[in-house]
Amino acid sequence: MVAKQIQRELSDMLLTDTVLQYAVLPESALGADRYLSSLTTISDVEVSADLQVVKVYVSVFGDDRGKEVAIAGLKSKAKYVRSELGRRMKLRLTPEIRFIEDESLERGSRVIAILDRIKAEKENGLDEDDLSESYDSPQDDRDWEGDDPDEDIIYVK
Amino acid sequence: MAKPLPKIGSRRNGRIGSRKNSRKIPKGVIHVQASFNNTIVTVTDVRGRVISWSSAGTCGFRGTRRGTPFAAQTAAGNAIRTVVDQGMQRAEVMIKGPGLGRDAALRAIRRSSILLSFVRDVTPMPHNGCRPPKKRRV
Repeated sequence: MVAKQIQRELSDMLLTDTVLQYAVLPESALGADRYLSSLTTISDVEVSADLQVVKVYVSVFGDDRGKEVAIAGLKSKAKYVRSELGRRMKLRLTPEIRFIEDESLERGSRVIAILDRIKAEKENGLDEDDLSESYDSPQDDRDWEGDDPDEDIIYVK
Repeated sequence: MAKPLPKIGSRRNGRIGSRKNSRKIPKGVIHVQASFNNTIVTVTDVRGRVISWSSAGTCGFRGTRRGTPFAAQTAAGNAIRTVVDQGMQRAEVMIKGPGLGRDAALRAIRRSSILLSFVRDVTPMPHNGCRPPKKRRV
């Protein structure tokens, strides 16, 4: 319950607070009408049993550099965030805040993309089996290389 | 509220609503409103006229499950499926609100065959206007 409240406050801070926004996305200070290169979301908040340590899982959408910049910016502002949280919420002791990068959404998205690709290929394969056999391999190679939205993150470990 | 654009002789054609749906729009705007309890995905054209919409609630999730990122991703997939058949290739995404739906819907859009041209955050920000509702005491 405290976790939910902290999540609300932190998300609100990310949206409204200029200091945090500048830390996460340095080009927002230029005021480019909010055309974003990366989007930071707080996906989960875990609070320790004595409410002293709060682990905030942050998920960043964007390229690698954007991710590094966002996480580094957040970690550098941890003390500021702690003081802001203390000002906004009534807690006996304001907890220490740790930002952790959350890869789960991205991993899930990758898995679903691969599954979709396999399904599309199976359907293509079924259609083309009726027409001709020889078309299959060059078509498959082209499909593998051509329609990849995230080219550098294909590795499934 | 968007005014419907006046057409000359629209009085006669007013009843034929389905004729408008066969427009082919190559570029559109996807609005994602992500609150903590729900995510609403609306696909409009560049001027803002709504083409189709879908939300986590209409996708069959109820209660606390509407706010999850998986629900947001199904809602986005649902909304886009109608439009991809109509031939939309590029889209701009406007994101409003906090909530897990932001990230998940964006990833779902990226996974589909629609090219993302811009991502904008249009959360309404008052320049200190109306008084916000009182603080929750939980």
